[in-house]
Amino acid sequence: MQDNFDSHIGRSTLFWLLLTNIAILSPLFDKIMPWSIGICAICFLWRVGIYFGRVAAPPKLLVTSLAIGAATTLGLVASQIGALNALVNLLLLGYALKYIEMRQVRDVKVLVLVGYFLIGFSLLEYNSILNTLHLLLVSTINTCVLISLYQEQSQPAMESLPESRGNVRITRSKSSLLNLSQFKFSLKLLAQSLPLALILFVVFPRLPPLWLMPSMDNARTGLSNEMAFGDISQLTRSAELAFRVGFDSKSQGRLANQDLYWRTLVLDEYDGKTWHQHPSMQAIQTLVRQIKPTQSTPDLQGHNNKSIAYNIISEPSYQKWLYGLDVATSDDPKLTMLPDHRLYALNDITQRFSYAVVSYPNAVMDRELSKTIASISLQLPKGLNPQTLALAAQFKLDYPKPSDRLAAMMSYFNRQAFFYTLSPPPLGKQQVDDFLFNNKAGFCAHYASALVYMARATGLPARVVAGYQGGEYNPEAGYYSVYQYMAHAWAEVWLEGQGWQRFDPTAMIAPERILDGFDASFDGASSYLSDTLFTSLRFKHTPWLNDLRYKMASLDYYWSLWVLGFDETKKQQVLDKLFGDISLSQLAMIILGLSSVILLLIAYSAGLLHFSFEDKLNRRYLSICQRLINKGLVETKAQVNSQAPLAPIAPMAPITPMAPPQRFAAEIAPKLTQVNPKLAKQFAGFSALYIALKYQNLPPKQRRLKQKRFHALYRKLRFGLLVN
Amino acid sequence: MIHSKPAPDAQLKTQLAAPRQTLLMRLTLKAIPKKLRLRWQKWLAKRIPASRQFTLSHKSIFILPSAFGLAWVGLILLLYLFGTNYQNNLIIGLSLLLASLFQTCIIYSYKNLAGLRLSAIKNPQIYAGGTASFAVELSHHDLGLAASQSNPHGSRDNRHQQICLRFANQHHVRVKHVINEQLTYVPLDNCQRGRLNPGRITVESYFPLGLCRTWSYVDLDLQQIIFAKPKPYEIILSAADKEAQEDEHGLQRAGVSEFNELRAYVPGESLKQVAWKQWAQGKGLLTKTFSQPQGKPLWLLLANITGHDIEERLSKLAWQVDELSRRQQVFGVVLDNAHTIEQNIGDSHRITCQQAIALFQTKSGRDEEASHAG
Repeated sequence: MQDNFDSHIGRSTLFWLLLTNIAILSPLFDKIMPWSIGICAICFLWRVGIYFGRVAAPPKLLVTSLAIGAATTLGLVASQIGALNALVNLLLLGYALKYIEMRQVRDVKVLVLVGYFLIGFSLLEYNSILNTLHLLLVSTINTCVLISLYQEQSQPAMESLPESRGNVRITRSKSSLLNLSQFKFSLKLLAQSLPLALILFVVFPRLPPLWLMPSMDNARTGLSNEMAFGDISQLTRSAELAFRVGFDSKSQGRLANQDLYWRTLVLDEYDGKTWHQHPSMQAIQTLVRQIKPTQSTPDLQGHNNKSIAYNIISEPSYQKWLYGLDVATSDDPKLTMLPDHRLYALNDITQRFSYAVVSYPNAVMDRELSKTIASISLQLPKGLNPQTLALAAQFKLDYPKPSDRLAAMMSYFNRQAFFYTLSPPPLGKQQVDDFLFNNKAGFCAHYASALVYMARATGLPARVVAGYQGGEYNPEAGYYSVYQYMAHAWAEVWLEGQGWQRFDPTAMIAPERILDGFDASFDGASSYLSDTLFTSLRFKHTPWLNDLRYKMASLDYYWSLWVLGFDETKKQQVLDKLFGDISLSQLAMIILGLSSVILLLIAYSAGLLHFSFEDKLNRRYLSICQRLINKGLVETKAQVNSQAPLAPIAPMAPITPMAPPQRFAAEIAPKLTQVNPKLAKQFAGFSALYIALKYQNLPPKQRRLKQKRFHALYRKLRFGLLVN
Repeated sequence: MIHSKPAPDAQLKTQLAAPRQTLLMRLTLKAIPKKLRLRWQKWLAKRIPASRQFTLSHKSIFILPSAFGLAWVGLILLLYLFGTNYQNNLIIGLSLLLASLFQTCIIYSYKNLAGLRLSAIKNPQIYAGGTASFAVELSHHDLGLAASQSNPHGSRDNRHQQICLRFANQHHVRVKHVINEQLTYVPLDNCQRGRLNPGRITVESYFPLGLCRTWSYVDLDLQQIIFAKPKPYEIILSAADKEAQEDEHGLQRAGVSEFNELRAYVPGESLKQVAWKQWAQGKGLLTKTFSQPQGKPLWLLLANITGHDIEERLSKLAWQVDELSRRQQVFGVVLDNAHTIEQNIGDSHRITCQQAIALFQTKSGRDEEASHAG
């Protein structure tokens, strides 16, 4: 490779490399296994040692054996930590080892390229605005390394003292550590590249994933696919964002809090301790890539087919289930609709994921109930909770009509002395009995499971639905934020002719929890703020801070919506808004035009083009002279040379205007007067003005006047020469 | 950037590296048919004609991605695939930013060479053997008509950076900054005696990020007569044939020019004759004078010099010519019957002699004679 002219690695390059190393590795530190961190740290310290001339470069054998050892170890543990994690670790180790081993300019370039890839890797998980800006800075530093290879320090007077230390030759200079000019240049280059990158970002095609990639192994957050009685109370201690929803402006503005039941999981099996998904549903979910679940169109009741369109940006949950209201449909290819009207992603949600949903709140959920589902939804563990079963039998006796029976059950929670608490007393073996008859205290999960248990006992198919309830409205950007502490559980009961109907017993005990949201019924400090010390949610009660919080949050929301969630549909929207309805070729022309304007601007700022008056002055003068010559009004070069051998003619100039203007004017005057006296007079004036403007130091006012006259004469002369 | 006035040799850091011709390159060169190479040469000669002074512009600058640039493109594709597969817009954005950066670099690399003016500086003498240096002056010349002072962008010093000059298959010289008029010496290894045309200078740069190679082949019309390599030898002066026959005293009158005396230095006298040793001893500037040979004109005869081959004999002759000139002695050179240089004195005489020696029995020398005869 014929790259740099020699293989010295300059001192400023080494310094930038030290900086890049930390900058690139720091965002990834939680992906690195502890022993990899150790190796990276040792490599870094070694490099610092080399930089200050304290230690020699390590022998090649040591580095090679370390690399082989690390690679084998990683290969062995790859199955445990996941392929992607293993890959990152491998890259990082390679990066670190190459870092101490580097001897040539070529090695530095490899480091830079791997560095960019690692930056890309960090973007996979860290993709908020701040993270992006941070990684942009890291990219700038990484670019500095390259610049330092090709741009010498600003002080050219430096003693080159090639020194041999180990195998790395270091050129020492007296320059300061930080070379700001290189950083500025790097910043400039990147800043100039940004506009074109933005245009490309908008127009570049977004393809669906080409093949399946391994994903990061991460702790899953949010709901889990089984619900024990303590689970949701754990979630209520988390102030983490679960997802955000923006309703389309076409749908009616704000929805009331009690309409926001975000269905996420349907739990229809109860073993006396926990609720979980039925194996058949789990099978459908695992096979969702291979076998698309049968999709039913929403069963609309004709007269009231209201639909709500909205966009959800899910935070990474490392799970596959998604959120939706009532009967949720979506035509996003990256997700699928399950038979129980939930949305399910094809891949784990490892990064912010944006999808569009249309919900039909009035559609009937399963007008007909298949036998299998009916039997699943009626199942109860044997020999448990006799008191509850007796109560249910009583309800069935008193209210033969299912809807009346359910209404009675709901009001039962209201009439009895139940109360809502996030820290209920522990339950014994007969969980539902304990809750209904002894403790009479619990939260949503307790109430929902008790209701479902009773409904099933009276022969009504019922199930527990886990999800989120409510949402915090951000007036700045007009969207809802749903936090983990809004996790909720409620019941769905199947009624003849009406399908699955939602019943939320919690609303009977703590109606303000449903009507006004979680914050109305609970003090944040005792629940979701108790575990997290620093969160902006603490500012809720200070108005101006809360405003600020809303502003920052909406910025982040738009970022997620328009940058992270930018796809083909969004692209179409942007193009429509910018250019209206245009054809593809027109669009291509516009893009081409914009790009060339950007290129010209870059060229201008690089100092390639300059537009100055003087330039124009010369150009116009020369063009008139050229025209006179072309007309044959002036002798050619050879003749002029013989007549006026003293005229200093530039060696390369083919024509006479290079002769001093005064002499040129004098020479052509007689012949021009002969041919066209008017033109001759004009040219004499033109020439005089040119001389004055070029060589005289004029006061600004006079200068402007002369410029005006110069250009006027230029136009006249051009016209005159054209006509003649 | 502000530059203090640095020492000229510090500005210009010449670093020599091994000639860059890998086996692969040689093979590919061989693979190209001769006809095609000739056509390329012709095209080049038309596009970049030979001239003692040449300013690089869009017509003469070539830009192609370097190997690193190709690797960079590979990285862009890799990142795009990575971003697509993980459906991550930011990674796609990063790949597009890198692509755009490449594009910006092309502009900068063009700008780095555009307007660079190369002027050949007349080289008084180059001896065969060892490394010859051809002096080239680098400066900036505005391509447009605008006065260079009016350019507000960037200091003048940063217009052209990291420029590498070399002859084909030769060591390179690297100029880190072109500051005003920058003199640099392009090396050429192993020159042979005779007329030498070193060919085109490759002017190349990888500035700013090494992504693209920007280069040009400039022909500065650097034809040069390479003098024979001087080889110290006993000075044998003799009368030329006719006189030798008349003078029975024979041939040997060696070592005539003896050191005579020291006298006060008169401004304007050659510094070569200043007695530096005495000056260093604090005796003031003194000039060494030599006794001028009186009597018969003296000739250096190639026939009188012994050696393995003609080259060695010519080398010895060349040394004698220099030595006698240094002593300010009158002499003539007889190479053979057809090549005789009349007696004279002074530096121009020395150059004439050396040129004659350089061209003696070489192909270019014979060609020249033939053209004169014709």
